[in-house]
Amino acid sequence: MSKPLEVLLLDDEPIVGKRLKPAIEKIGCVVEVFEDPIKAVERMDQKSFDILVTDIRMEGMDGLQVLDHVQKNSPRTKVIMITGYAKMDLAREAMGQGVFDFIAKPFRPDDLRKIILKAAKALGVPMDFPSQDYESTEP
Amino acid sequence: MPIIIISADARETEEGIAEKVAEAMGYTLLSPEIMAEIGTKNHLDPEQLCNELEATPHLFQKLLSCQWRHDLACIEGEVLERMLADNIVCQGLCAHLYVLGVSHAMKVRILSGDDRAAANQGLLEKTKRDRVVQCRQRKKWSMAAYGNDETDLSRYDLVINLGQIDPDEAVKTITHAAAFRKFQVMTYSIKCLANLALSARVTAVLLETMSDIRVESNDGSVVIFGKASNRNKLSKITKIKELAGKVKGVNFVEVHVKRNINPIS
Repeated sequence: MSKPLEVLLLDDEPIVGKRLKPAIEKIGCVVEVFEDPIKAVERMDQKSFDILVTDIRMEGMDGLQVLDHVQKNSPRTKVIMITGYAKMDLAREAMGQGVFDFIAKPFRPDDLRKIILKAAKALGVPMDFPSQDYESTEP
Repeated sequence: MPIIIISADARETEEGIAEKVAEAMGYTLLSPEIMAEIGTKNHLDPEQLCNELEATPHLFQKLLSCQWRHDLACIEGEVLERMLADNIVCQGLCAHLYVLGVSHAMKVRILSGDDRAAANQGLLEKTKRDRVVQCRQRKKWSMAAYGNDETDLSRYDLVINLGQIDPDEAVKTITHAAAFRKFQVMTYSIKCLANLALSARVTAVLLETMSDIRVESNDGSVVIFGKASNRNKLSKITKIKELAGKVKGVNFVEVHVKRNINPIS
């Protein structure tokens, strides 16, 4: 069995981390949750993560700045952006800067799990979790 | 991969470039040829459907206007649905006016430039005059149909003037730009497209029997805005909920009906 994917989840709203952490763990990932982008970046300097799931609008450092930091220090990490302020221009900007995927809040946990499975495949570590294994398990 | 929507100030230019781009990229070409299928599906005359993309009903032709809006919604619904399949080049279906906010839809405007053949025959001035008239008509139509001016070049992601760039170079430029990361498919943009497609399907169903309807969708939840007199308000809400609820993909309907002093709608 391959090593589980390491995921860092960054969102300044505590409820997001609280809800998404178990949802992502369900597909076998190891998840660390952060609400402060500065602390998240410090953690990423200590440890390399396979996937970063980050909000865009945050105090202190926004998601695009976090993305920039990750690309310089850990180019292998796949970055998934989640935002409640999705607009076409922002989506294009994020995509142009190299995010792996972009999703608007609110979304179903299953939507994020599908993106993580896609990212795992792109990382060369495909995860074997057919959709029906975890569908409809979340509110 | 992105959806490439091509429009031009002359139909033959639009068709020619779109065909070449589709061929170069190995994409499916979405063109007015699909009108026959749309017609069959919705019991409408394909010729009439093509005409709806050109002619604007007069302000006072209320009944014609209702039919026009319904037919446009049928076209929109089908085009947006097909775009969900991805790898599409679209022309001649006015998609540049209703595919809004979809980041992987790249909108290209082609300006025909001076017609060399016409110039050789001394017909350049006439061709220019014809094009100005055509542009005025398209502006009027696009404003009436979608509240957007299709001749406003700031609406497009890429504008190419064939007076300065050869058609083959234009095709290369378009295929090159389509590879930019900004235009790649993402979960958000697919959802935006699916929402637009659902809104168009619901709109088409509602406009069969009513007018003044606006529909917004999000992930199967549909919000419908309409107008009715106080007396008809409740029955209209019930009818809208019943009709919209039957559309495939709709799982929740919310209706907002404002008072309308016009008893026709």
